[in-house]
Amino acid sequence: MTQDQLAELSRFLYSPTTLLLYLTAAFVYLYALTTTVGRQEERERGRRARRIGGVLAVLGVTAHVAHELARGFAQDRLPLGNMFEVTSLMALVGVVSGLYVLQFVRRRPELNGFVLLGGSLVLGMAMLMYAEPGPLMPILDTWWRPFHVSLLVAAMGIFAAAFVFNGLYLLRDTAERAVAASHEGRSRGSTVGAAHLGDLERTGPSTDGDDDEVERAHAAAYREALRAGIPRVKLAVGVFLGTSLVSWVWLVTDDTVAGGVGRFLAVNLTMVAAALLAAWFTPFLPSTATLDGLAHRTITFAFVLWTVGVIAGAMWAEVSWGRFWGWDPKETGSFLTWVAYAGYLHARATHGVRGRNAAWIGIGAFIVLMGTYLIANYVVVGLHSYAEL
Amino acid sequence: MPTRGYRALVTASSPPPAANPPVRRRRRPGPTGGVGFVVDSVLMAWRWLRRMRTALYMLAALGFLTLVATFVPQEPNVSSTVAEWRSGEAGPGVPVARVLDAVGAFDVYGSGLFVALLLLMYLSLTACLIPRIRAWFRLVRLSRPPVIRRPSEANLTATFATAASPEVVHATADDVLTRRRWRRRRHTGDGRTPAQLAAEKGLVSREGGSLLFHVSFYVLLAAIIVGQLTTFEGQRGVVEGEPGFSDSAVSYWLYQPGRWFDESDHDRWQFELDEFHVDWVRDPLAPGAGQPTEFRSEVTITPPDGEPYAAEIDSNAPLRIGGKRITQLDWGYAPRVVVEVDGEVVHDGFIQPTVTDGGFFRGAVKAPAADPDVGLEVFFYPYAPYDESGRPVPTGAPWDEAPMLLFRQHRGDLQLGATQQTVNELDTTELESEGGAYLRPGQSVTVGDVEVSFPELRRWVGYQVSSRPAIPALLAGAGLLVGGLIPALYASRRRLWVLTERDEGLGSTLVTVTGRAFQRPEAFAEEHAAVTAELADAVEATATDPPPDRPGDHSGAHHRAGDREVLRP
Ligand code: HEM
Repeated sequence: MTQDQLAELSRFLYSPTTLLLYLTAAFVYLYALTTTVGRQEERERGRRARRIGGVLAVLGVTAHVAHELARGFAQDRLPLGNMFEVTSLMALVGVVSGLYVLQFVRRRPELNGFVLLGGSLVLGMAMLMYAEPGPLMPILDTWWRPFHVSLLVAAMGIFAAAFVFNGLYLLRDTAERAVAASHEGRSRGSTVGAAHLGDLERTGPSTDGDDDEVERAHAAAYREALRAGIPRVKLAVGVFLGTSLVSWVWLVTDDTVAGGVGRFLAVNLTMVAAALLAAWFTPFLPSTATLDGLAHRTITFAFVLWTVGVIAGAMWAEVSWGRFWGWDPKETGSFLTWVAYAGYLHARATHGVRGRNAAWIGIGAFIVLMGTYLIANYVVVGLHSYAEL
Repeated sequence: MPTRGYRALVTASSPPPAANPPVRRRRRPGPTGGVGFVVDSVLMAWRWLRRMRTALYMLAALGFLTLVATFVPQEPNVSSTVAEWRSGEAGPGVPVARVLDAVGAFDVYGSGLFVALLLLMYLSLTACLIPRIRAWFRLVRLSRPPVIRRPSEANLTATFATAASPEVVHATADDVLTRRRWRRRRHTGDGRTPAQLAAEKGLVSREGGSLLFHVSFYVLLAAIIVGQLTTFEGQRGVVEGEPGFSDSAVSYWLYQPGRWFDESDHDRWQFELDEFHVDWVRDPLAPGAGQPTEFRSEVTITPPDGEPYAAEIDSNAPLRIGGKRITQLDWGYAPRVVVEVDGEVVHDGFIQPTVTDGGFFRGAVKAPAADPDVGLEVFFYPYAPYDESGRPVPTGAPWDEAPMLLFRQHRGDLQLGATQQTVNELDTTELESEGGAYLRPGQSVTVGDVEVSFPELRRWVGYQVSSRPAIPALLAGAGLLVGGLIPALYASRRRLWVLTERDEGLGSTLVTVTGRAFQRPEAFAEEHAAVTAELADAVEATATDPPPDRPGDHSGAHHRAGDREVLRP
């Protein structure tokens, strides 16, 4: 195959193949999640759906890996040289590690859908910065580069997963609080319902008959109450504004106003849609403690990778440019991200700040990560300006 | 919150761990009155500095300053952009730029605010670390695992029965835990507490890692400060085949020694550029068309008392000579331009035009030796092939396949010294243009009474020579940082007790293995199960609760907590 054909193939493997496979798998998994609280036959259907989702996810990952390989061969170098490639690989790392952890470590395969949804979002975002395959500038051609970049990319992917967990935690927590508050109002402090239904996802139909009917009606009512506990409009507006903290970059840097507004809206509305979808799924989420723990552990791991990656970057800069640190926009951005996540870790270790506040700091840190990444690449251009937009 | 961990340690299990010494000494009553006020204020400030929340605020402040530095161009990095912001050509306008200037936003990391914050952070870090380090050493030296009266609700518990005596069980448990490197303590049992082996692990490494991590900030700071003082940086441009420069204070164009860098620290070798290789993807249809693919210098180094030798400098492979390092900073074309007036050479040298956005290079030739002065505005196009009609067509391509030198000639007063102008700028206010022409290498042309020739084209490269003796210390700091971070985040402190209860009637011993982890409970669940299984195996347990046939399930749900029924043989 010629390099042109390889490039063509890699493009096709990426979009539509991988993108569609991830999205379909995500929706199949999410459908399976809704069946976990149903009747026996529904649960059977859910299991089957999960199997299909698993196959689709594996196919998606295979297509994604094949895309990376084809792209690598098409340009005779590691596909880590520009923003598109970095973002695509970040999605791959995030999806693979997320699926692996949920499937084999945490044994919560029903949550795979969220990871795949997150992966699809990142893949879609990478499409906004698509660049044709090509060679690398000589300054980037050293083993320091793959070391440094792949560490940071891995960390970014994992931070992205942590962002999803933090967001889901806040949703679930908000819903539970709302339900508890309304219970308190009605039955003067009785939180029996909340306590017993808090572990909803473990509640299976144990017996047939009337008890089961009652139980299921009760569970359905609780699900509705949880959903009602999330203020939709506030969520949508909040997510729109929150995403704008990052996506304004497209508004100001696109060549045409229409193009800029288009990208801006595409990103913002996708995030809003994802948030509303997640809100609908809130009743099926695991407990807040689980989500909080997942967020903490993913951030901890990514923080270590980020630390080592930034140090490797400084070493590379020392070799390439004769200085290890110069407060170049990218360096400043990576430092800021590091400080932000250190803030999260400190918040977690501080009494009275953990919980919701820590989760918000985690969300803010991800905004910082995405914001500095885009700003440093699009808006202010320094020495690191190899990004080849 | 230096003592939080210790307090948690006290309240975690039911009996007070009398074995652990108090970590903090009691404060003596201080002076009163005016002195007392001062002392109290200082103590209060110190205590404020020591709070975790304070550290959090400071991290937020550091983040804010960094955010400013991300958005506002920084003078040390892009001084030209800052100049444009100041003059209003770019950015949010002059008034805003004035405000930014006033608060030091154009040089955040050189501003007083940043230095003050850094100082405060280090103070806070110190306030935090002193008691933590003291407590840690006490922990390492004196701490013994606390004993326990009965397994609590919070504990992970498993039991089994065995025919072995309590002594044998405890000795075996001691072996097992020694192999797993736990800190242990035997307790023979009295009226209040049952016979047991108490064990603890991870308390030293987690807190120790965190301390190491934070201490590494001092190492890094020291390395950076010493680095600033001892570093040296010089820059110099060299044309291929022309005399280079020697490593001495006077030969650098830009010379930035640290305060402790001495002129005698120069090595006085001679540097010459033989050839500079640069290439691009020239095929316009190939992927990445136009991108550079190579920057490489072939150079000759002559040590002060030695033979010349050849060396190479690549983009990512600087040349090291002694403690100094030579990196390529930038490069350009160096056309040699000869200017003759009435047969007399008034200029003969390589000019080094600067690259422009349009893909061509701009430069100037200034010949004050002529009367009146001769000035040439020079535009250099590396690739300007002829079209069908034989006219040169300038392109933006950077490779020198069809170099063309375009110039406009001026006579008059060059205003050298009178106005500010760089080598590549010509001040034409007092000059009169006499027309221009274009030249290919090897050609010459006469405009008016001035003959201009372009005998050859070479390249020039800008080099940076630097010496940073503090780099190893910096690396060590980074190593400490990572080496501390990993245990700080991943080590988990956990306790385990092996309790025995002898039932002489049945001739069996009931063994309870109970424990808890302060971090990472899932990992501990596995460890607990493994230790229990190993011990049960070693003492030939007759019945266990929970039965050990549920491998892989670490949810802990099957480990019964607190009071439970016990399987008896
Ligand atoms: C302003 C000065 C600082 C102070 C007073 C401070 C204080 C502390 C304290 C007391 C802890 C222990 C928390 C605990 O486990 O109870 C801690 C943990 C930690 N600190 Fe700092 N710190 C400072 C600066 C920093 C900085 C600049 C960073 C890096 C960006 C950092 C990163 C961490 C990390 C990663 C942990 C571990 C968190 C955990 O155990 O989960 N600290 N710090």
